[in-house]
Amino acid sequence: MKNIDQTDFENWLQRRTKSLPQPEVSSEFLAAQRRSIYRRMDEPQRHWISMRWALSLSMLVLMLAGGLTLERRHKTAPAISPMSDDQLFSDLSAMEQRNEPKAIQPIHGLFQE
Amino acid sequence: MMAAMADSLEGNLDSLAETRELEAQFGKWMASEQRRVFRLCHRMLQDAAEADSAAQDTFLKAWQALKRPESKNLDDPGKWLTRIAVNTCLDRLRSRRWQFWRKRPKSEDESAILNLAAATSPNAEDQLFARQIAQRLSRALTRLSLRQRAAFTLRHYEDRSLAEIAEILNMNIGTVKVHLFRATEKLREELHDLYFRDSQ
Repeated sequence: MKNIDQTDFENWLQRRTKSLPQPEVSSEFLAAQRRSIYRRMDEPQRHWISMRWALSLSMLVLMLAGGLTLERRHKTAPAISPMSDDQLFSDLSAMEQRNEPKAIQPIHGLFQE
Repeated sequence: MMAAMADSLEGNLDSLAETRELEAQFGKWMASEQRRVFRLCHRMLQDAAEADSAAQDTFLKAWQALKRPESKNLDDPGKWLTRIAVNTCLDRLRSRRWQFWRKRPKSEDESAILNLAAATSPNAEDQLFARQIAQRLSRALTRLSLRQRAAFTLRHYEDRSLAEIAEILNMNIGTVKVHLFRATEKLREELHDLYFRDSQ
């Protein structure tokens, strides 16, 4: 980007924004807008903001309740009993020493007299 | 008892007449300010439908505030209304940040701006250039921060002084200057090619 003097650019921008046409606003449009404003002035005040707060609060309560339920369910789930390293190694070595998988043993039983 | 009822009825009629008078005055004032407020909202929001809604909200807020007895004596009602309009637009722009699907102004609004630009320029080349500037400026304005956009709009489209902008945006003059400087810098980056073409 070439170097532009800030003041020159500001002047140009000011000149250009001044020369840009204003958005066209017809009298009919303004009259319709006024009618809409008068209609809304006569309406009882809507309580959207308080309703929005109430909705957000109820959502928060629901989320908290959901979170608590999940946590409680997690706590009541049956705990897996911890296994010591010695126990684990002895189980593994027993499995390794068995020459055939446990799942085949019942099939052998079918052929035994 | 009848006297008390008559007094109460008289009081109600007085307050009704007062409200009707206030409503009539407000109607006249609204008619005189409506176009300016709509244009300000349109410049800030870059969307005709949303500007219409924001202008309506502005007048409703003004009406509700004026109904309160403590806010009847305003030094500069125009500036006060501008402040309400700017804050209404800023609120809408803040909530628009969450609406990522509507980053760009509507295409019909863009074309309306382009047609407007075309309508007032004398020759074809100027018309085309004015269209380009209007389009690029409109896009560049959406890239400014909310405060920068508000300060720029008030300065360049509303011709407000720095002190007035500071009052409307509830900040000190130094901060307004910083916002305007940064806005101009960003616009310089966005529009430098148009500036050079225009300077030649």
